[in-house]
Amino acid sequence: MSVEKERLTAYVLDEVEATERAAIEAALAADPELRAEVEELRLLGGELRTVLAAEPEPIFDPKRRQAVEHGPATLGSRGLTYLASWLRWPVLVPVAVCGLLLIVFLSRGPEITPDSKVVETPVPDSAEAEVVAVVPPPVEAAPEPGRAQPTAPRTGTVPTEVAATTAGAEAERTGFQPPPVEPTAMPVQQADQLVALATPPPTPLPQPRPKRDGVLSHLQGVALFDETSSSFGGAGPLMMRTLTPPGAPVMADEGISLPGAQGDPNFNTEAYDRIRDNPFKDPRQDPLSTFSIDVDTAAYANVRRFLERSALPPPDAVRIEELVNYFDYAYPEPTGKEPFAVDVEVNQAPWKPEHRLLRIGIKGRTMKSQARPAANLVFLLDVSGSMNHPDKLPLVQRSLRLLVEQLGPSDRVAIAVYAGSSGLVLPSTPGSEGATILQALDRLQAGGSTNGGQGIRLAYDVARQHFVPGGINRVVLATDGDFNVGVTNRGELTRLIEDQAKSKIFLTVLGFGSGNLKDAQMEELADRGNGQYAYIDRLQEARKVLVEQLGGTLQTIAKDVKLQLEFNPAAVKAYRLIGYENRVLAKEDFNDDTKDAGELGAGHTVTALYELVPSEVAFEFKGVDPLKYQQTAPSGKGTMELGTLKLRYKEPEGSRSGLLAFTLRDKGRKAPERSPDFAFAAAVAGFGLLLRGSEYKAGSSYTQVRELTTPGLARDPHGYRREFLGLVDRAERLALPPPIPDPLPTGEAEPTGGGR
Amino acid sequence: MSETKGDFVRVCLADHGSHLLRYARRLTGDPERAQDAVQETFLALWRADHEGLRPRILPWLLAVCRNKALDRNKKERPMVALQEGSAPSVEVSPQDGALAREREWRVRTALDALPERQQEVVVLKFQNGLSYREIAEVTGLSVSNVGFQLHVALKTLRERLAEDKTAGGAA
Repeated sequence: MSVEKERLTAYVLDEVEATERAAIEAALAADPELRAEVEELRLLGGELRTVLAAEPEPIFDPKRRQAVEHGPATLGSRGLTYLASWLRWPVLVPVAVCGLLLIVFLSRGPEITPDSKVVETPVPDSAEAEVVAVVPPPVEAAPEPGRAQPTAPRTGTVPTEVAATTAGAEAERTGFQPPPVEPTAMPVQQADQLVALATPPPTPLPQPRPKRDGVLSHLQGVALFDETSSSFGGAGPLMMRTLTPPGAPVMADEGISLPGAQGDPNFNTEAYDRIRDNPFKDPRQDPLSTFSIDVDTAAYANVRRFLERSALPPPDAVRIEELVNYFDYAYPEPTGKEPFAVDVEVNQAPWKPEHRLLRIGIKGRTMKSQARPAANLVFLLDVSGSMNHPDKLPLVQRSLRLLVEQLGPSDRVAIAVYAGSSGLVLPSTPGSEGATILQALDRLQAGGSTNGGQGIRLAYDVARQHFVPGGINRVVLATDGDFNVGVTNRGELTRLIEDQAKSKIFLTVLGFGSGNLKDAQMEELADRGNGQYAYIDRLQEARKVLVEQLGGTLQTIAKDVKLQLEFNPAAVKAYRLIGYENRVLAKEDFNDDTKDAGELGAGHTVTALYELVPSEVAFEFKGVDPLKYQQTAPSGKGTMELGTLKLRYKEPEGSRSGLLAFTLRDKGRKAPERSPDFAFAAAVAGFGLLLRGSEYKAGSSYTQVRELTTPGLARDPHGYRREFLGLVDRAERLALPPPIPDPLPTGEAEPTGGGR
Repeated sequence: MSETKGDFVRVCLADHGSHLLRYARRLTGDPERAQDAVQETFLALWRADHEGLRPRILPWLLAVCRNKALDRNKKERPMVALQEGSAPSVEVSPQDGALAREREWRVRTALDALPERQQEVVVLKFQNGLSYREIAEVTGLSVSNVGFQLHVALKTLRERLAEDKTAGGAA
C-alpha cells in the first residue's frame, strides 16, 4: 500500500486520525524506505524546532506593557503610552508621576505602582493571611499502642528461602477469571474519602515556609517576567478562601503550631488518584497475583512534606509500595548473568501475628560510576510563574547543580525550558564544560504559565540530535506538575513519550514544590517514558535521587519487570498484596510482551509484601459464604510450599522478555528470627496502613512501627531511617486525639474494617 | 474562581507576549511596528469576550496580531524583510559544536529562503506548536491548504539541505 507524501507529513506532525494512523503504521512496518523518510522528517522537524526556539525573544516595551495591563479604560492606549513616554523628560517627571499615580490609584487600586521595576514577589510569608487552615480528615484512630507484639527481633541474617527452579520455563495457562480489582465491599470510611475527592482534596495545611538560608533572597533577586502574572494563578488568599470546602474540619492541636500565615496558595489543586487497598483474595478462585514493579519513591517525599507541615497526608497520597521502596535494603547482589537477584523472607505479620508476611526483595546489579555509559541528558525545566517559589525553581537549580557535578567529559547536558513559550537555554554541552552548564542553570528565572507540549518536543529533539548509542539518553523533566499541554493534546503527549521510549529516549520526572502537584499525571508520564518519578522537596532528597542513585535514576538495567505469584491453596487460605494498587496487572498481561511494566535501575532495590493467611487459620472473605465443596486441604506445620514466584523482564534494549521462576517456602519462622530489613520494611508498610486508615491495618500502631524500625537503624548510612522515625512521631501526634481502645477480640482472624 | 479580565490579559501577556513579538517582528520586519502590533492585540483582548477565548487563546492572539501587523505594513511602508536577525554569524571553529552550529545556520538560511506563506506555516507549527486547524484559524487558509503548504515547505527544506550535504552533514 502506498502512502501519499502529504499524508506522511501529516502523520509525522500528528495530524491524522486513529484509522489513518493505523493504516500508515501498517504501511511503515512493511516499507523500510518509508520508515527512513519518516525518520528524516522527524529529524528535520526537530531541527526546525531547535532553530526556531533559539530565536531571540524580544522584550515588550515596558511602557506599552503598562498600557496593556491597565487596559483601554484608563486613558486609551495611545494616551497612556504617550504619557509614559513623557517620563523621559526630566522636567515633567514630578508632574507626570503625580498624574500617573492618581490615575493608577483611581483605576486600579493602590497595589499597582507606576514603577514597573517594583516587583511583587508572592512569597508565602507575606502579610495578608486570612486563611483558614484545613487539615485532612484525621486518619482513623490507631489502635492502642503496644498491643500484643512479639518481642523485638534479633539481628542477624536469615537465609533466603528461595529455591530457583525452572528458569525459562513456560508459564501455565489457567481458565480463571482475571483477579477482580474491586474490593468486596466498600467500607463506610470510603464514603468520606469520596466526598473529599469531589471537593478539592484534603489539603496540606498552609504553613509559613521557613526561610531557607539564602534561597529567599535569591528568589527576590530573580526578576519576574511579569510582576502580576505570578500573583495571579498563584495568588493566595483569594483563591484559598473560595476553594476551601465549607465545613471542612479544622484541626488545631496544641503542640502543633498552626500557622496563621498564608500557605502555599495553589495547594488545593493537588490531584491524587484514588487508591483502594487490594483486598484479600482466595487462591482457590484467584491463584495468580500479577503486578508490575514500582521503583518510584515520590509518595514518600510527598508524605514527608505533609507531615513536616503538621498535616496528615490525604490517604490517596500514601502509596505504600513507594514508601517501602524509598529505602534501600541489603538484599544480595546478583551473581549470575541476570541483571538482578531475588530474595524472599517469610515471617509473622507484625500487625496480625497469626498471619504471615511474605517479603520479596529484588536487587538490581550495581554499576560502578566509572562503568556507567555516557549520558546524554536534556533537562526540561518548568519556568512558569508557579515555579517562582523557594521550594521550586531555586531548588531545581541547586539540585541540578549536584547532578552536573557528577558528570564526566563524555556526558552531555542540554537545558530546555518551558513556560508560555519554550526555548533552549543551553544547547547540548559536554559534561567537562561544567561552568557553562552551571551558568545557564543560574540564569534561569520563573515567569509565565505552562505550556509543556512544545517544550517536551524540543527536549526530545535535542536528545535525538545527540543520541548516544548504548548510552543513557534521557529527558529529565522538572516541574511542579502543572504540565499543561492543552486539552486536545493529552493523548498526543503520552503517545509522544511512548514513541520516544520505544526509540530509547527515556523520561525521568522530578516533581517540585507543593500545592499544584499533579501527582498522578506526573507518575503516568514517567511510566510511559520508561522512567522514574521522584518528588524532590529539599536538597537532601535531590542528593539521594540525583547523586547517590545516579546510576539507578539514570540507568535502566531491566525493563518491563513483572511479577506473578501463584499461590498454593493448600498452604494459603487468603493473600493480599500490600500496596501496588495501581500496578496490578491482569494475569494474561504477564506473558504479554507488549504490556508495559516498571523499570529497574542499576543498584535499585524493589520490595513487595504480601500478607498471607495460612490455611490453618480461620478466615472469612467478606460478604461470601464459606464454600461447601471446595476442598480445604489441611496441612501440617513446618516447611511448606506457599507457591511459585515468576518474574519477567526485558533487557533495556530488548523487546522479548526472559522468565525466572522460584518456589516460595515458609519455614514457619517467628518474629525473633526476622531480619532487620524485614522488620523495617514491615514497619514502613504498617506506617502506610496507619496513614491510609486502611481497613487492613489490624493491630498496627505507631508504637509497633517504632519497635520494628529499631533493629534496622544499625544500617542507615544516610540517616533516612532515622528520619523515618521522626515522621512516625509526627504522624502519631497528628493522629491524636488518643485512639479508642480496639475491641477486636484477639482470637479472631478476620480483618475488620479499621480494627473497630 | 473570580478572575477579572485584567488578570486574564496580564496572564496572556506574560505567557504569550514574547511569542507575539517574535511573530509580529517576522511579519513586519521592524521591531517598533511589532511592538505596536502586539500592544494593539492586547488592547483588543480587553474588548473581547475572554471566557469564550480561553481554550484557544494563542491562535486568537496570533490571528489578531497578524492582522494588526499586516495593517501596519499596508499603512506605513512595505515590508522590508521577512526575517531579520538571522545574519550569518558563523564562527567556524574546529570545536565540537561547530558542525552542529553550521548545520543550524543552514537550516535557518533554507527556512528564510522559503516563500513567505510557507515560512509562516512552518513558524506557526514549529515555533508556536499550533495544529493544522489552529494555523488555518490564524492565517485564514483552509486546513487542507495548511497541510499542503507545510508538506511543500518540508519537502523543499529537505531538498535544499540535502544539496548542502556535499559540504558534510552534522549531528
